[in-house]
Amino acid sequence: MAPKTVSSPATTNSFQSLLRSYNETTLPRLKLIDAFLLFLMLSGIIQFVYCVLVTNFPFNAFLAGFGSCVGQFVLTASLRSQVNPANRAEFKEVSPERAFADFALGSIVLHFFVYNFLG
Amino acid sequence: MSTWSVARWLQLIQHWQLRKRCLHSSAMVSPWRFLSFLGFAAAALAKSSTGNSVLVVLDPGSSRDNFSRFFDGLEARGYELTFRTPKDAHPAVIEHDHPEYSHVILFAPESKTYSSDITPQSLVTLLSKNTNLLIAVSPKATPLTSLAAEFSLILPPPGTPLVSHFPERDTPATVIPVDVSPSNPVLSGSLPPVWFSGVPFAFNSNPHIVPILNAPPQSFAADSDADSGADAVVEAADKGGEGLWAGSSLGLVAGFQTLGGGRATWVGGVDLFSDEYAQKPTLDGNKPGNEQFAADVAAWTFQETGVLRVDGSTHHHVNETTPRDRYTINDRVTYTLRVSKYNPTSAEWEPYSGIDGMQLEFTMLDPHIRTALQPTPGVPGEYSLTFRVPDRHGVFKFNVDYKRKGWSYLQSTTVVPVVPPRHDEYPRFLSPAWPYYAGAISTSAAFLAFCALWLAGDSAEPKKSKSTKSD
Repeated sequence: MAPKTVSSPATTNSFQSLLRSYNETTLPRLKLIDAFLLFLMLSGIIQFVYCVLVTNFPFNAFLAGFGSCVGQFVLTASLRSQVNPANRAEFKEVSPERAFADFALGSIVLHFFVYNFLG
Repeated sequence: MSTWSVARWLQLIQHWQLRKRCLHSSAMVSPWRFLSFLGFAAAALAKSSTGNSVLVVLDPGSSRDNFSRFFDGLEARGYELTFRTPKDAHPAVIEHDHPEYSHVILFAPESKTYSSDITPQSLVTLLSKNTNLLIAVSPKATPLTSLAAEFSLILPPPGTPLVSHFPERDTPATVIPVDVSPSNPVLSGSLPPVWFSGVPFAFNSNPHIVPILNAPPQSFAADSDADSGADAVVEAADKGGEGLWAGSSLGLVAGFQTLGGGRATWVGGVDLFSDEYAQKPTLDGNKPGNEQFAADVAAWTFQETGVLRVDGSTHHHVNETTPRDRYTINDRVTYTLRVSKYNPTSAEWEPYSGIDGMQLEFTMLDPHIRTALQPTPGVPGEYSLTFRVPDRHGVFKFNVDYKRKGWSYLQSTTVVPVVPPRHDEYPRFLSPAWPYYAGAISTSAAFLAFCALWLAGDSAEPKKSKSTKSD
């Protein structure tokens, strides 16, 4: 178990080693996906906080904006699991190209609904 | 059955001939005749808003001459009086369910029996058909005294006239000078005291009663004005006034206005209208108010004064001029009501802006809005209001219900549906929603950028991915 204080050298070391190993072992494609996922997560958090703290008045707009982040996150996460070579054994019949096509189609449908709902 | 059908046929034939004659006369109408007809119409113009024919039912014992001032005054104002006694079968007040006269004066307080056309039921029928009644009662029990109870007037037991020993005077205790309230809407201004002798009545709580003349505070109803009969009065007073007709809350003259607009005035003693009382000097030696009082009461009863009507109502969206067949919630809507008052001197309806305290209700089961309907400045007779329709959809009513004592009732109801906005009528691009819009747009933009990078990386990648795979 790592100590809880962030400033302790052990934590710093483990965190740095995590980052290093991530940088070294992760494919650039998956890094791209991870960056996208991080962006979606931050965007969703900001909208949720705004909704809680300021206003949820056009509630349909909140649902659309927040839903687009969540939906896109889900689709992107599934793309990541399908194109990850580590999961090759599990998705034998899904090629990365097929996975991306599924992802693109699903996203286009999602955005269609989002803009209809945005008001 | 056969006699009935023969009579019916005769009636039909007569009716047909009458119509034929009318058609003939209208076909050969000459300008001269038309002019004379106009002149006749002007001369016969009723000062009442409902007509000028009056049936007067007088007791056989009393004659028209006893009330000549009152009746001559009515005729001078354009009324056509027809006299009969209670037992005459002709002319009937109502025939074939159709009132024959615009107004009926029943000055027969002593009569116990009437011919078959005058019954409490027929009088109520007359009233519901907008015929006005002026009814005098007396201490004697007659069919009319039992009818008074239907108007929420409670008469004392028979044979107990109003008695007052104050102020000291040389007349009998039952002949009483009564002060007239100066603020009564039925009467024209302040009048000198009027002489009264007759029976008082207590009022039940009925909102349609218009008290016109109240008894003096010192007066009471008793069967005798002698001291020997005072015990009953004292006893009743000891019981908190139970069963005692006394005090200024008693009415001597009271009007009653039906929802349909018909007016009935009950008078406790017919002598109020008599020439004798009109000429009898009051205690300070002046002329009493009887003559003017009688004229005012007749004018109100025969719907000359205090007569209002709704000419029409309209409503429109605040930026438009024509009524919509439905409104959207939160619309701003203008409601306009036009009211006229009858002017007896010119016999015309004139726009009237003097109503204070009229209210408009916007109702769906309950009034969602109830607010003052003010006269529009500069437009006579028009009352208007602009208000916001509630945030509630359903079938609403514009409702004006104005009931004041002494005035005709004004009622106007307009049904209008209120609907929620159509799908494309909601507000868009609201400023508080911009973070959400930005979130959705940025997600789409990021998605496109991601796709571009992914596809761009695809061609450059194969080797690299192979190399990573081999790792």
